[in-house]
Amino acid sequence: MKLEEHLKQYFNYTAFRTGQKEVISSILDGNHTVAMLPTGTGKSLCYQLSGYLLNGPVVIISPLLSLMQDQTEQLMMNGEKRVIAFNSFLTSMEKNQALSQLDTYKFIFLSPEMLKSDFILNRLKELQIALFVIDEAHCISQWGYDFRPDYLRLGDFRRELGNPLTLALTATATQEVKEEVISSLGLIKWNEYIYSVDRPNIALAVEVVDSYQDKSDRLVELVQTLEGPGIVYFSSKKMAEKMAIQLKRYGTNRVMAYHGGMEQENRVLIQQQFLHDQLDVICATSAFGMGINKENIRYVIHFHMPLQLESYLQEIGRAGRDGLKSIALLLYSPGDEQLPYQLAEGELPSKEQLDFVYRLLEENKDLIKDLAERDNEVRSLSGLTEIQWRLVEDYLFRNTDKPVQQRFEQLKDFINERLQVKRKKINEMLIWTQTQLNGCRRKNILKYFEEDKTIEINDCCDQCGIDLTVFYSKTDNHKSADNFFDWKKHLAKILLVSERD
Amino acid sequence: MMKNSFLSMIILYCLHKINGERTVYSILHLLNGKKSSQTIQDAHFFHLTSFFCTFPLLKRVELEMLIDLLKKQGFISQYKEQSYYVTPVGVKRLSEYFKSNPIPANLNGWKYHNLAVVFWERLSLAVQVISQLKNHNSKYLPIQKSKELHQWLKDYLYKRKLSKDELADQLYDELVGCLETIDDLDPSILVKRLTGYQIIGLTESQAADQFDMDVDAYHIQFLGLLHYMLERVGTKQRDFPLLSYMIEDKKRDASLTESSHRTLNLLQSGYTLDEIAHMRNLKKNTIEDHLVEIALNIPYFDVSAFVNLDKQQKIKKAINSVTSKQLKHIRELVPDADYFEIRLVLAQGGEKK
Ligand SMILES: Nc1ncnc2c1ncn2[C@@H]1O[C@H](COP(=O)(O)OP(=O)(O)OP(=O)(O)O)[C@@H](O)[C@H]1O
Ligand SMILES: [Mg+2]
Ligand SMILES: [Zn+2]
Repeated sequence: MKLEEHLKQYFNYTAFRTGQKEVISSILDGNHTVAMLPTGTGKSLCYQLSGYLLNGPVVIISPLLSLMQDQTEQLMMNGEKRVIAFNSFLTSMEKNQALSQLDTYKFIFLSPEMLKSDFILNRLKELQIALFVIDEAHCISQWGYDFRPDYLRLGDFRRELGNPLTLALTATATQEVKEEVISSLGLIKWNEYIYSVDRPNIALAVEVVDSYQDKSDRLVELVQTLEGPGIVYFSSKKMAEKMAIQLKRYGTNRVMAYHGGMEQENRVLIQQQFLHDQLDVICATSAFGMGINKENIRYVIHFHMPLQLESYLQEIGRAGRDGLKSIALLLYSPGDEQLPYQLAEGELPSKEQLDFVYRLLEENKDLIKDLAERDNEVRSLSGLTEIQWRLVEDYLFRNTDKPVQQRFEQLKDFINERLQVKRKKINEMLIWTQTQLNGCRRKNILKYFEEDKTIEINDCCDQCGIDLTVFYSKTDNHKSADNFFDWKKHLAKILLVSERD
Repeated sequence: MMKNSFLSMIILYCLHKINGERTVYSILHLLNGKKSSQTIQDAHFFHLTSFFCTFPLLKRVELEMLIDLLKKQGFISQYKEQSYYVTPVGVKRLSEYFKSNPIPANLNGWKYHNLAVVFWERLSLAVQVISQLKNHNSKYLPIQKSKELHQWLKDYLYKRKLSKDELADQLYDELVGCLETIDDLDPSILVKRLTGYQIIGLTESQAADQFDMDVDAYHIQFLGLLHYMLERVGTKQRDFPLLSYMIEDKKRDASLTESSHRTLNLLQSGYTLDEIAHMRNLKKNTIEDHLVEIALNIPYFDVSAFVNLDKQQKIKKAINSVTSKQLKHIRELVPDADYFEIRLVLAQGGEKK
């Protein structure tokens, strides 16, 4: 059978999107494959269809629990029952049960941190893994996203699993990142399918405003005039909530905030309301990013600039997944870069915190022995966040042959180095937002990813000239909730019984 | 006058009930649903069981801020360290406030705090799934994520042996039948939260917005509705088979903590307190706490095995003669009884006094 027929059979799609067929063929021919396809093209399909055509289970390493959940649910919606995601939605009993019957699953989603557990790794070793997938593979690179020590160990885990056939997927990797992904996975021979990061149907614009007040006024105006649905990104949960209230006050009724601090049940409802067009605007933090797959998002506004161009590309990549024209708009007011600098520092442990932990370990000699059990204690005393702690822990556990003091010195050096990298990334982002400097925004993004811009596009960017009215709404943006509500009728609508009496 | 939040009025109400005999933190424990025997007893003695565990996420600092505000408004006045009594102005404000914002008659946090959570998770998922089945749609995202819950639903649907249409029709009938008899609350409060085919339910804050309500006031009404349903479904199981099956496996020991329930089972098998403490590797104190909890919750539980009848009489007399419910004062009148015995008798008397 031809691949197209399988595509039809398993997913009911009629044609492959750019790159999909090449990637799948490469895998089916038994080649390790590195694929870089732009956001929203359908990278998941590359491992899903390959999985169906190979014998044995597909193991997918995914950076976020919510992303795992979304992908599991998409597979289940497609009628696949043999899917398991090892995340917090499983009780520990269910986890154990799933592990004991691991061979009954076709798609197994894991975080890299879970591979650390010998128990899980050993269970995986008993399987004949058909395909080992690293989704959002740029996370492997320490130049990519936030440092996750266990990502760097994926190569070791992979070797322990007997070097299974491997697929690395990403939408946003520079040359440097790509090389690091390949070397840390320990690939020796592989096929590469690299497509442009560009999303030509998304217009790029930066608007400079004078002050915070102007920015917030402009946001209200944009949300009232642009064609929705849309997402507005913020760097802080508080601001996302505050602006959602503000937008409501100015008459945009169908808007809600979404961030990681919200209760699970509320997050699910808001995400689904947005997917079902019951909401027009989401004021979000980056928690509403990877995995969000809604076809018709028409605009993405950034109220704060992200910490790097890669994240920016990921976030605007939520727009126009149906291929239709959409716009990405970043609002910049002078001094905005201060927030990213602060956030970058906050992600890493401070010198004071490290000194404190060091002293604590010095004064309690037995502490270091059962650090694994007593991490909560150390964390709460030192005020380290979970991510910060992961880094400290990693250094303390990894180099056990060296004296503790030396490990701390190394850690400090490493943190300094990380900070430099982060600052550099923020600078690159900042330079991109500056108007006076340098021509076409698309060209500059592409240059960052070492690509040349080749095609000319209408409404390319604010520098090339853009007609903002193209993106204006044709209808009234003040849709409000129905005021009249009859609970019996509503219940009847849900459970579909013709109303009696 | 400054507008008071619903929550601050609830706290004022609790302060009024405890009348300076406990600290403000006992209210925090009550609203958080702390499972200590002290909190459980207090809830009963001061007639505050309906609020037990109604705000499980309330934080200490939030409580302290509200207390400060009430103090500034002159509604409460400090009596001792961390203890307040409600001023006459406060009492007046309370009765005015709750005249226009009555507390749902069926609110019963003590009895239903656990069950209501399970019931809502199951009900909301069941409604969503049955609605999708009815519409022959299998491509949707479940609003509840826990695998355990999904497994429960699968069994639940399978065991009912009904067609998709019958399921939907009957669930509709039961929901309407259950909700339409309530007279102090609007069923829309709950119905707006439900998700079905191409309709996604509202979050708590969205619903509160639509009703133009303080989110805490909305929360209490929502709980009130759930508790009402549980009460009705529990007493008229035959009228609501689909709804009552949703909680069939959970009802038995809803009002006892897991641990106390185990103690009760051992007691009924004839073990002594010391034996139970030994077997369960727990302190005797803890087992005594369990007993007090059991006495509070099981009306027919006989405490005479632990306090002889004669002593029970003496303690009861002492309870009736002191104005305060502090154990210390009672003990002064019955010096040969220990605190455990007094607590047990108090617990058995409970609110019936
Ligand atoms: N060949 C195809 N034809 C039609 N639709 C497709 C095809 N391949 C994938 N899709 C759909 O495209 C959407 C986006 O797919 P997917 O989430 O895999 O994108 P992605 O490349 O992983 O994006 P991101 O970088 O944002 O993670 C999905 O709804 C998917 O079903
Ligand atoms: Mg993807
Ligand atoms: Zn351009």
